Amino acid sequence: MTGRPDVPPLVAISRIRNAQRIVAVEEEGERAGLRRGQSLSDARALAPDLDSFDHDAEADMALLTSVAIWCDRYTPLVAIDQPSDAIAGGCGGLFLDISGCVHLYGGEQAMLGDVTARLRGAGFAAQAAIADTAGAAWAAARYGDRRIVEPGDQPAALGGLPLAALRLDPDCIDMLGKLGLRTIGCIADLPRAPLAARFGAQLLRRLDQALGREEEVIQPRLPAAELASEKIFAEPVALQEDIERTIGLLAANLQPLMDARQVGARRLELRLFRVDGKVAAIEVRSAGPVHTPDRIQMLFRERIAGFHEDLDAGFGFDLIRLNVLESQERSVRQGDLVAGAHAHEAFDSLVDRLGARLGVDRVLRLAAADAHIPERSFGLVSAAGDHPDSSGFAAAAEAPCVITRPLLLFDRPELVEAIAEAPDGPPVRFRWRRAVYRIVRSEGPERIGAQWWLEGRGGRSRDYYRVEDDEGHRFWIFRHGLFGRETAHPKWYMHGLFA
Amino acid sequence: MRRDQAKQTIGILRDAVAGIDRRHAGVGGAAWTDGSADGGASFGFPPLDDVFEGGFPAHALHEIRCPLTRDIGAATGFLAAMLVACLKDRQGPVVWIADPAARLESGEIFPAGLSMFGVDPSRLLVIHPAELKSALWASDEAAGCHDLAAVIFHMRGNPGLCDMTATRRLMMKARDSRVFACILRQAGEEEASAVATRWRVQARPSLADAIFEGGIGPLRLDLALERNRHGRTGQWAIAWNHRSRRFEQVPTHYVDRPALPFDRPHGAPQTGQVVALDRAS
Repeated sequence: MTGRPDVPPLVAISRIRNAQRIVAVEEEGERAGLRRGQSLSDARALAPDLDSFDHDAEADMALLTSVAIWCDRYTPLVAIDQPSDAIAGGCGGLFLDISGCVHLYGGEQAMLGDVTARLRGAGFAAQAAIADTAGAAWAAARYGDRRIVEPGDQPAALGGLPLAALRLDPDCIDMLGKLGLRTIGCIADLPRAPLAARFGAQLLRRLDQALGREEEVIQPRLPAAELASEKIFAEPVALQEDIERTIGLLAANLQPLMDARQVGARRLELRLFRVDGKVAAIEVRSAGPVHTPDRIQMLFRERIAGFHEDLDAGFGFDLIRLNVLESQERSVRQGDLVAGAHAHEAFDSLVDRLGARLGVDRVLRLAAADAHIPERSFGLVSAAGDHPDSSGFAAAAEAPCVITRPLLLFDRPELVEAIAEAPDGPPVRFRWRRAVYRIVRSEGPERIGAQWWLEGRGGRSRDYYRVEDDEGHRFWIFRHGLFGRETAHPKWYMHGLFA
Repeated sequence: MRRDQAKQTIGILRDAVAGIDRRHAGVGGAAWTDGSADGGASFGFPPLDDVFEGGFPAHALHEIRCPLTRDIGAATGFLAAMLVACLKDRQGPVVWIADPAARLESGEIFPAGLSMFGVDPSRLLVIHPAELKSALWASDEAAGCHDLAAVIFHMRGNPGLCDMTATRRLMMKARDSRVFACILRQAGEEEASAVATRWRVQARPSLADAIFEGGIGPLRLDLALERNRHGRTGQWAIAWNHRSRRFEQVPTHYVDRPALPFDRPHGAPQTGQVVALDRAS
């Protein structure tokens, strides 16, 4: 926060070690002598007109995450360096693994300039540095005067930096300071064993990480996409037609790559980087592996059309990226060679279109489940998932003697008020949805036991009756619980409608 | 987009011309020429099949409605019977689109019951749209897919969205892609639409089961063909024989107790003796 010269300095405070202490301070405040970790009363002595507000760690983290999402434009591997009180200067930051991405921006210097200029443009006081280890970059960005540390140059570049640049515990730094060890150079060449014995292994590990003697792996926020293609626009695009055309272009870029690997995409993601830093992500799934640009374009067109509100383009998108998140093997060009492969293409495409527009969880197929409780005996699973060869239903070869299962089933049985003979007679009449039904014929009971291995002792059996009322409507209703044995007042439920 | 509209306009005009031709040729008879193109499917029950001169047009839009929600079971049963007739010699999946309003009242399709009726549940693709508009869109898309065997659109009441234009589009798509399309309308009134046939279905009390006396006999329906673009309308009381998977005639005068079977031994006589009781007072 800068550019508020006429108003009193602003600090964020939080309760740390039994005192209100400053967590963050703006630039003007630093000039007045305020610093992080200072107690609020000390700060008020320095600047009596100080303005303070409570620190909101969650909001900080959310902001950092949104910047991390924005940084996806530079590299798919972005890790968040969590703010931590256990580290001196641990106010949070981002690690970007830019291996192999630099040439896209014309060199490290240009890329660094681009990142900092854009972040400053967005109002962040950002500092960045490039080094070949995460630790060295961390140190250089916060304390260094060289923004780019050449490979192998860490000892020279970091030697003069304070020990706080090593991501250490403040107490450890204090202890080292008392011994007169204030810079990284001071401890870099000290005998290792006594150092480790006195200050713990963490000090040496951090030192080695900073100097490039030990590997450090960053943990990217998202796994890198299998394949990705992107387009940067000099002039932001906002029109839906332009976006669709771009999707076609990107998909065409991906096609040879997918062909070479003999895969097709099952899950695709489109990332739209808005000029003002907001990133929109649209994900689609397909029923089978897709690789042709027009199929991919169609999927996204339906997905965008299915949005209830328009895609908010704001001032336009300046970078659009298409990621293949999940792929599946396919035999190359099978559709062109084998006539039989065409057979289900129209159906697959229909499933894709419906799934893209309505959401994949709304396009379902029936699958048998291994349970005898009626509502658990089948499941509705997404049709876009993997297709097993059979859905698990036994083929109805022979017509049954009696139809014992209804055509329509309520997934939650509905409570009815029924009059029935105790202890186990069929219902005589019942009231369901505010209407009374007089039962003329009934068959049953068919007893379906509870899943005691899941529900335990409390599970109740159900006695199912097929009943018909005086107008010919047929229902499947059950008594929940055996009279006397499982419950004193069994309740009745409506569970299905027969034809 | 414009081409689609033009195609639709041509379709509407074609329908009109066909209608004029039919009127000139007299109802029924030779006018019903494109029966094969419409994929005639037979119920296997002469009184019903006669109305369509052999079989109802499978590649068209139909409607099955029940005036009361409680009859939805019966209506679904008739639809299942139609599906059995349609799927007999046709491969491909069946898309079942359930409008949320309808699903709330009538529940979910139950695979076990469906397969007892003779429809393989693994052929079903069930769509649960969030609202009627997307349900209509989905049925439109599905009706245009020639890989399918049937499209069912289960809705409730008479929503304004599903009007003459919408049904006409569905009808034409079903005809062009040779798909059986059907609107299953629960708690709906009669309304003008472009459907080929509209059936009203109501449950009818069943007879006692032939084997188990107190039990429920085969499914019986009061069926009314309210609209038929290509012929007569009519009313029937029919019974579904789930063993042969066909409809049967319901005798107009029936006795509640069936005659004793002649091909089996007599059942065990009832125990006890029937006596006349004295008046209580």
